[in-house]
Amino acid sequence: MAKIDSYQKYLPLTEATYYILLSLVEPMHGYGVMQNVDTLSEGTVKVGPGTLYGAFSTLEQEKLIVMVKQEERRKSYQLTEKGRQVLRRQIERLDVMNKIGQQIAPLL
Amino acid sequence: MDRTTCKKFKWFWAWNDHKEEEWLQQMSQGGWHLKSLALPGVYEFEKGEPRRYVYRLDFVTSANKDYQAYLQLFADAGWQHIGVLGSWQYFRIEASEGEQPEIYTDNSSKIQKYQRLMTYLVIFLPIYFIFMSNITNSEHELMRAIGVVFAAFMVFYAYAMLRILMRISQLKKQL
Repeated sequence: MAKIDSYQKYLPLTEATYYILLSLVEPMHGYGVMQNVDTLSEGTVKVGPGTLYGAFSTLEQEKLIVMVKQEERRKSYQLTEKGRQVLRRQIERLDVMNKIGQQIAPLL
Repeated sequence: MDRTTCKKFKWFWAWNDHKEEEWLQQMSQGGWHLKSLALPGVYEFEKGEPRRYVYRLDFVTSANKDYQAYLQLFADAGWQHIGVLGSWQYFRIEASEGEQPEIYTDNSSKIQKYQRLMTYLVIFLPIYFIFMSNITNSEHELMRAIGVVFAAFMVFYAYAMLRILMRISQLKKQL
């Protein structure tokens, strides 16, 4: 129980954080993440540079992501193992939500 | 001779930074674009074609070791960095009709901006108190007079902190 719970405190992720973490399954720099979030979310989520910069520092402090490359002044980040675990659990949660949602939807 | 630059004096309080952003936007619509910031309240503008510039102010200290990466991120996203005043970073971007670009796209990160501002004010507080206790203990008339002015400043300082806290709690209600 203790093992699983250590990831629970990060959940649920905000929509923006969810898409940011999804983007960082492979190394990506800031602007790449901003564009990718826009694409992955089909334009429903926008991340401004102020918000992204703050998210990077927070996620790095929480050790969910790590800086893997710095080219000139551009930093690239990637998920850590801990970040992968948190993201996996978020996806499981969304599965539950989606499954029941699909069942109820026809009644609406 | 046509003037190509002009200086304007206008004072904004930190909790009203969105009013300042709106004012700069209106100036640009009239063809006056912010060129540089010299001193608090002193804005230098450059004459040009009217443009739909959107201005945004961030609060991040330039002493931050990550500052260059921070500026790069904004530049990549299309935001032009015009200048710094204290820890206020001035950015602008050209927007199309009806578009309202934001540097903070959710309330929780916007709240963090004001929390950084609060931290900054709190850090300087002890320094003022030490200074204050030194002058109020003095025998000199002049020092006492300075002390009165300073006390007034302290009241204002407290008011500023209160206004920023109110702004934070207002944003929190929208979470």
